[in-house]
Amino acid sequence: MARALAQFAGSLVRASTWRLALRGLGRQPRRSAVVLAAVAIGLGSLLLAMALQYGLVGQMAETAIRSEIGDLQVHASAWKDSAPLAERMPEAPSLAALDGAQTLIGVAPRLRGEALAQSPRASVGVRVIGVDPAREPSVTTLASLVQEGAWLGVQPRRALVGGGLARRLRTGVGDKIVLAVQDVRGDLTGEAFRIGGVLNPPTRELDESVVVLSLPDAQRLYGVAGEISELALAARDRAALEAPRAEAAAALGVGVRVETWREREPLLSMMIELFDQMGWVIYAAIFVAMAFGIANVLLMSVLERTREIGILLAIGMPPARMVAIVIAESAVLVMVGVALGFALGFGGIYALRDGIDLGVFGDGLRAYGMPTKLMPIARSGDVTAPLVVAGVTALIASLWPALRAVRTRPAEALRRA
Amino acid sequence: MATLQAEKVSKRYAVRGIETWALRDVSLAVEPGEFTALAGPSGSGKTTLLNLFGALDAPTSGAVSLDGQDLALLSRSQLAALRLAKLGFVFQAFNLIPVLSALENVEFVMELQGAAKAPRRERARAVLADVGLAELADKRPLEMSGGQQQRVAIARAIVSEPRVVLADEPTANLDSVTAGKLIDLMERLNRERGVTFLFSTHDPRVIERARRVVRLRDGSVVADERDA
Repeated sequence: MARALAQFAGSLVRASTWRLALRGLGRQPRRSAVVLAAVAIGLGSLLLAMALQYGLVGQMAETAIRSEIGDLQVHASAWKDSAPLAERMPEAPSLAALDGAQTLIGVAPRLRGEALAQSPRASVGVRVIGVDPAREPSVTTLASLVQEGAWLGVQPRRALVGGGLARRLRTGVGDKIVLAVQDVRGDLTGEAFRIGGVLNPPTRELDESVVVLSLPDAQRLYGVAGEISELALAARDRAALEAPRAEAAAALGVGVRVETWREREPLLSMMIELFDQMGWVIYAAIFVAMAFGIANVLLMSVLERTREIGILLAIGMPPARMVAIVIAESAVLVMVGVALGFALGFGGIYALRDGIDLGVFGDGLRAYGMPTKLMPIARSGDVTAPLVVAGVTALIASLWPALRAVRTRPAEALRRA
Repeated sequence: MATLQAEKVSKRYAVRGIETWALRDVSLAVEPGEFTALAGPSGSGKTTLLNLFGALDAPTSGAVSLDGQDLALLSRSQLAALRLAKLGFVFQAFNLIPVLSALENVEFVMELQGAAKAPRRERARAVLADVGLAELADKRPLEMSGGQQQRVAIARAIVSEPRVVLADEPTANLDSVTAGKLIDLMERLNRERGVTFLFSTHDPRVIERARRVVRLRDGSVVADERDA
């Protein structure tokens, strides 16, 4: 067995094995071309479809991270989304602990609360986010979403609202709104703010039900001077969030909880993971179907060449070499097909590099945090997954024909011809 | 010790449930350096006996040995190695690999034996020149005549200097002039290099050139004639 395996491995590196395989495939060029086309078109379409799907979920994640969440968030251990004011952290010591962290490129303190926003014409229940105007742009793109007016500055009592909320309140830049809240002691209170800017956020939730204040204004409104609800963090490497999580946890000590964006958005995270798993399933399904086609072609080729295989075995070709030739034929078919498929798929991705404009569905897409311009995103897995699956396919598809070839009895093959 | 030996060898084929005995209790020994013809009409068992000596088929009963090695005791891979090391084949229908050139066909046996590219190519060209085909080295089989193909087959059979060449009706598809040249070539190899030849034929012109003629009929040896 070991000898046969060594012979097989040795055969695979011989140029003549590949020459025989190529010439064998060249005997029926039309048939080989049909298989190549099937592999190439199947894989190319799949790559493009996967890139568009990943573009969709990837942009959804990017939107969530960059518009509000950040890569990581820090809260007091007992903090809950449903009662954002109940548990708080000291602002200055928390910032001091994280400033200078090697794995972070941005730290933004926030205070979260709830309010009733009132204009002279309407009232709307809203979420209030108090942000540090100078630090927030290091973590999110909120500041760049201002479509009218200006980002928060040093002027007190300025509020930013989404275009949707402005419409609901029937108000605009320069108008006043009143935020009625229940402060940290449970007392009803309120304050008037002038709308300093209108945002154009990528999600309906930010657009229609969020008011952004400067952190000092929010702290005064809720009566929590010097305290914050959360720290939003931007990591130096988003693909490796465990290091910044560990560094932040170590710097802040006990009593805090550091979560990644995946933990803050479990549904989105699950969608991405599900998509990754589905990718393998789809690749496997496509290639299993291809494997039957390839096995069929190889088997036909082997049966047509019964006499030739008989000759090769008669003149002393080791069975392991015969197996290597059939596997090489399969590998050539699959690999050339995969190369063409890559060219088609990545060519398509390149052609759509500017994105597909889905603006006509804008409102509906924004409601689910989906992008209105769909950009295909290719990943390294789009190369490695097909290569791995194709390699396995080439092997599996050729096993039956290869076994059929080595079981050929030379005398019988020569007699039959 | 005989180079080739068959002891009470029988071979039965079953085609659609009908059994046919191709050989019955055949015993034959071929000594080193012999130039032996297996003669007999079609269906007498010549090809079957050659296939058994060439380890291409297994007998239904009896034993076949090559240089004293019982072929029944060898695995498929060991039989392939044995054929590669010791035997050369010439088949009736040429049986060259159609996708390889004449040179590549001849060279292929040495490549299987692990010979380095430069010397094996040089040797293959020399042997092709020996059989008068130097100028057709790069032609594929379908671009050559039957006689040329058979000469390539001879070149392939002898290129690695095997101990034994088994030839099945080597002149069957050739005109008399080409057949005569082929027998000349085989005789020369036998005489100059000591290669043992065992070939089947029913061509009287070939039979009369053999130094030993074993006659078969209905799967049995009916005569074994040697030159005086």
